[in-house]
Amino acid sequence: MTDDAPDILLVEDSPDDAGFFLNAVAETKLGARVQVARDGVAALAVIFGIGNPDNAMPILRPRLIVLDLKLPKVGGLEVLRRLKSNLHARSIPVVVFSSSHEKRDLVESYHLGVNSYLVKPLDFDEFRTVVRGLAQYWLQANHPPQP
Amino acid sequence: MQADQQLKASLKEISDLKAALDEHAIVAITDPQGKITCANDKFCAISQYSRAELLGQDHRLINSGHHPKEFFRALWATIASGKVWKGEIRNRAKDGSVYWVDTTIVPFLNEAGKPRQYVAIRADITARKAAEEVRAKYAAIVESSDDAILSKTLAGRITSWNPGAEKIFGYPAQEAIGKPMLTFIPPERVAEEAEILARIARGESVEHLETVRVRKDGKQIHVSVTVSPIKDQYGRIVGASKIARDISERKRAAELIRQSEAQYRTLFETLIEGFCTIEVIFDAAGKPVDHRFLEINPAFEKQTGLVSARGRTMRELAPKHEAHWFEIFGKIALTGEPMHFENEARALGRHYDVSAYRIGGPESRKVGILFNDITGRKAAEEKIRQLNAELEQRVAIRTAELKAANEELEAYSYSISHDLRAPLRAMNGFARILEEQANAQLAPEARHAIHRIADNAAKMGQLIDGLLDFSSLNWRPVTKKPVQPADIAREVFAELRPEAKDRRVQISIGKLPRCEADPTLLKQVFVNLLSNALKYSRQRDPATIKIGCHQENGEPVYFVQDNGAGFNMEHAGKLFRVFQRLHSPDQFEGTGAGLAIVHRIIQRHGGRIWAEAAVDRGATFYFTLGKAHHHD
Repeated sequence: MTDDAPDILLVEDSPDDAGFFLNAVAETKLGARVQVARDGVAALAVIFGIGNPDNAMPILRPRLIVLDLKLPKVGGLEVLRRLKSNLHARSIPVVVFSSSHEKRDLVESYHLGVNSYLVKPLDFDEFRTVVRGLAQYWLQANHPPQP
Repeated sequence: MQADQQLKASLKEISDLKAALDEHAIVAITDPQGKITCANDKFCAISQYSRAELLGQDHRLINSGHHPKEFFRALWATIASGKVWKGEIRNRAKDGSVYWVDTTIVPFLNEAGKPRQYVAIRADITARKAAEEVRAKYAAIVESSDDAILSKTLAGRITSWNPGAEKIFGYPAQEAIGKPMLTFIPPERVAEEAEILARIARGESVEHLETVRVRKDGKQIHVSVTVSPIKDQYGRIVGASKIARDISERKRAAELIRQSEAQYRTLFETLIEGFCTIEVIFDAAGKPVDHRFLEINPAFEKQTGLVSARGRTMRELAPKHEAHWFEIFGKIALTGEPMHFENEARALGRHYDVSAYRIGGPESRKVGILFNDITGRKAAEEKIRQLNAELEQRVAIRTAELKAANEELEAYSYSISHDLRAPLRAMNGFARILEEQANAQLAPEARHAIHRIADNAAKMGQLIDGLLDFSSLNWRPVTKKPVQPADIAREVFAELRPEAKDRRVQISIGKLPRCEADPTLLKQVFVNLLSNALKYSRQRDPATIKIGCHQENGEPVYFVQDNGAGFNMEHAGKLFRVFQRLHSPDQFEGTGAGLAIVHRIIQRHGGRIWAEAAVDRGATFYFTLGKAHHHD
């Protein structure tokens, strides 16, 4: 773990959603640093570096990973599986933040060990409320294990 | 001297008489105690004893044991009293053979009148006795015979009539004797009797003539008659003996057999099925290897294509005929177990339905076979089998296609749920940002337009949700479980109540019977119906909502009733179609998916849904849930 690790790794392919997310986090005045990965491959590269074999030691440990499910290249559920099956990475909190509340996505995410599942509200105000709450909860209220 | 002469002459005469007597008769003389004192040569000859053996013995020596003691006691009583005894006696000769003698015993008396000796004079009647015995036997036979045995004169008059005749013809002997034979002959056969009598007169016999005679009661009977001439001791023909046997029963049985045979012959000749009898041919090891056709019916040729099969063997006719046929018939011939089977005869290019059974015992090796060419039926069966296989394959393909289509639909709605919302969120988000950040610079119309953009994006999101919910009902399985609809209704109402917390709402939930339904889907039904009821009754104070159930045709019908806006029944047809609405959005908001979803859920349960309403007088929605234990 290095000092340049972001507070939040947002895995999101939609630049609009990513922009809304960043705005909402900024509104919290927590000063949280957010890094955005645009697809599953990029997300895994951020955490494990290029090549990322199974059970590799994470090169970055963000305090929270926010994961969209519908992603180019490697899907969100696969990213979640790789994170939660890695002994060294599984303690990083992961929150799924998806447009859908499809039952099978919910079931599979929790089966893989997701820490929380949030549906992106369509309404902008609700969206901002959810993201603010998310950032405040995981970055302020929650106690992560000491690495 | 003259007296002397006279005496001499007299003695001579006695001596001559005695010699004559000895020539003719068996003579024995006994003393009063019965001891033989004199026996002539004939006595010795017939008894086979020498005179020395006889003299001094009594007659017990030759007693045959035939006569009872009383017989001899009576004999002795007679002669002892000086009377002559006559009778027939059976005696035993020295070698054990018996002979009959006609006996006269004359007692010779002394001065006191007591017998001083007995003279027994006997004649050999053995031959006559034997003849009598034979005659008695014949008489007994005639008397006891079931056949009519009678005699008649050459003129045809009855002279004797046995009980058998009485039984067959119905006349007792005393009535029959003296009657002309023609009495028993039916008028159309009168000539027959003349013929018989003519033949008898020529010394010929008539044997086993089968003819008809008339009984006393007039009934005609079938008889078999044998007539033979009777000759007197000089060989002259004096009459005829006749033996008649009642063969009516035999005739009847023969007729029945003939009829039955004719029936079977007809059956055999006209049978559409092939029929044959065969003799199974075994090889030295006892293995059935062939069979010979003994009998075949006319249909045989058509059924087999084999010509002139009778007397020939199957191997001659069709050398490639499969061995398993011989094995089957060999087994039937050995075990006697009949078999019914279907089998193919490749050498004949045909399929047969066969019933085979053994004829006679295990030694007969004969089998009767009734068979039918079912090649056509087999081909039809094969065709059906092929069609079924094709159909199954087509069903499998269709099922796979349907499954693929369902999967595609599922993937499609998955994609919609993820991707279609993102642009809407962007529209909504940016409109809001614009509204917030540029609010002061914008004209009121522009602000309104921006507001409408945000609202419509939100509305579009709701429509997408409704569409997804509705379409997911097409491919999601319905899992029925026993549920308590009243509990679900109460739970739903509790969840919805906060939306109308400022209103007065009276709800009554009646007794709802348990049913089988998918609990999640049934809950959705109550959510949609109750939220509609709350929505459309919001102008009522108080709003009243009633949930209940009644039985209709043995089936529970559930209902949700409100006192709200209701609708015009003219438009009821549109009610359950997706995105169809009976109210404008500025009256009552909504997407038009709710009732379509309810309708789809009820349909998938095998139930029905309908509504009754009037404008401003509330609406009632009724639904059933189909049969229990129905798994979709």
